[in-house]
Amino acid sequence: MIEAKNLTKIFKVPTEEKSIFGAKKIDSAAVDDLSFSLKKGEVLSLLGPNGCGKTTTLRMLAGMLEPSKGTAFIDEIDVREDKQKIKSKIGFMTNNTSLYDRLNVVETIKFFAELNQIPENIYKPRAEDLFNQLDMKKYLLKRVSDLSTGMKQKTSIVRTLIHDPDLIVLDEPTTGVDVTGQSIILDLIKNIKAKGKTLIFSTHQLGEVKDIADKIVVIKSGKKVFDGDNDSFQKINPNKNFNEIFSELVDE
Amino acid sequence: MSKWRVLLNKEILHLFRDTKTILQTVIIPTFITPLLIGAIFWYISSIAQEESIKTYKVSVFGDSKLINTLEESERLNIFTKSSVTDVINDVETEVTDVGLSISSNFDGNLNNKLSGEITIYSKNLDTFSQAKNVIESSIRTYENQIREDRLTELNLDEDFIDPIKVIEEDLTTEEEFAGTFVGAFVAFMFIAYILTGSMYPAIDLGAGEKERGTMETLVSTNISTVEIIIGKMFSITLSAVITAIFSTLGFIIPLILIYLFYADSIPQYAFDVIAAIVNPVAILGIFVLIIPLSIFMGSLLLAISIYAKNTKEASLLMGNIVLVFFAPAYVPLINPGMDLDLVGSLIPCFNLALHTNALISGSVDWFLYACSLGSTVIYCLIAVYITYIMFDDEKVIFRS
Repeated sequence: MIEAKNLTKIFKVPTEEKSIFGAKKIDSAAVDDLSFSLKKGEVLSLLGPNGCGKTTTLRMLAGMLEPSKGTAFIDEIDVREDKQKIKSKIGFMTNNTSLYDRLNVVETIKFFAELNQIPENIYKPRAEDLFNQLDMKKYLLKRVSDLSTGMKQKTSIVRTLIHDPDLIVLDEPTTGVDVTGQSIILDLIKNIKAKGKTLIFSTHQLGEVKDIADKIVVIKSGKKVFDGDNDSFQKINPNKNFNEIFSELVDE
Repeated sequence: MSKWRVLLNKEILHLFRDTKTILQTVIIPTFITPLLIGAIFWYISSIAQEESIKTYKVSVFGDSKLINTLEESERLNIFTKSSVTDVINDVETEVTDVGLSISSNFDGNLNNKLSGEITIYSKNLDTFSQAKNVIESSIRTYENQIREDRLTELNLDEDFIDPIKVIEEDLTTEEEFAGTFVGAFVAFMFIAYILTGSMYPAIDLGAGEKERGTMETLVSTNISTVEIIIGKMFSITLSAVITAIFSTLGFIIPLILIYLFYADSIPQYAFDVIAAIVNPVAILGIFVLIIPLSIFMGSLLLAISIYAKNTKEASLLMGNIVLVFFAPAYVPLINPGMDLDLVGSLIPCFNLALHTNALISGSVDWFLYACSLGSTVIYCLIAVYITYIMFDDEKVIFRS
């Protein structure tokens, strides 16, 4: 399903050195030679400290950023070649709620469903099912600006899933959500997994990973420092818990 | 429904649910601006009215029978001074409105059939003041009387010193008058409304979306760059055109109300001028030019907005662009009667101002009109292409 091959993204970053045109810029690799693979129906957790390149990796996989070197294949489609097709296969949820404040929940979902050309008779029951699962019924006619962060996050999840994508990419889905909200979102992810969907998500909360992920990829400063399943992650140091092993891997 | 239409519907719903958009596109052009313009006109006309009956203070140095003539005027209040310096000082310190210095042998010179010399001191900053005109008119009356006396003495007719009589007839039609003096102003107002009507939506749909993070959500879906641009650009253009329509209504509705309730107190000439402005061909001709101009401005503003890191930077950058659009529209406003040539017809906003003049006065050059329309469409395409480059560049989309 996903095959990342030497995925690299270089950005120009400003240095301390100044020129007449402002700060001088140098090339810096946000993602450096990253390779991993994921089979259909598997769940991959992308772990790493802040600024390690998780979001950049996910954006490249979703066809939103062009890799500087290397590439990735989604269902054997090169992310550099057919971005529209890649995007139609993916449901991408950004790391903030990123919704239109002046639309209500129903209008938001309708907009994204229509944008994905999903007929009303298909998206309506699908949305209702998701609203029920996420306990959102009371909030459907409220404007996004009036929703709590947790409710906005749930709305974001519904809009990500409304076109029933083959691959779901969630960038820190539980950030800013209270404990109850987190458990609802995790249950939903389990549900998605149970339906045989392929899912890749980045997170800071390692507790989520152990229960859900089939594969774990840890990156540090853009480079891969671990790639394996739950068991092999634990085997790095059987006497330590997930958090401790992760801290060791990223030197935190 | 095509994706750009889905986006357009969403953008319109999202934009017009914002009270700022309603205020900018409907309330201000329909109600606030006509009220503001009305208040300014009322204020100016009340000053002019006040000046037309005002009595002016005049400092005078020198001795002459002319002073008696000046004192006969009900609008002049004469103060005799002992030196020219006092007269100048009075005018400089605005104790009096005008100063007069009469030469020492003024009456003697006149008696000897020579010329007498008078110096008028004034400050010509108050354009409404009629002080100088009233003085000059009194002096002219006195001069005419002396001329008449001299001619009688010589037994000559006035025709002797005035061999050619020039008769002037102003053939300016109401339409031409309206076109020259009101057309550029109307166009200037339209440009102002298109810009204000486009600016807020452009900021909201570009930098605003980047700031809120919704731009990332949008580009993660399978809508193409071209469809995003079409959807957003049409929303901005629609907002600009709605603003232009409401601003037109803002001008027309008060005129209709004046016609309905104050028809008796308005002179026929003024009505003819108004009729020339509210002319369907002129309004249609202006709108045909305004639509591509709105798209051009809208897409340029959208390109700037999408380039900006945030709404603050977008507002700052757009402030400069606004000046670029206003400057060419301002030239015909301060030079009434300017003619449009081929080069001028290719300058956006400048051409709209002069075509508006011509459309109202019924003297439009359709070749130049076509040149303006064609060039604006080309500018539109260039602006849309710049917007496309901006939207297609990940460095711009994720610039924050």
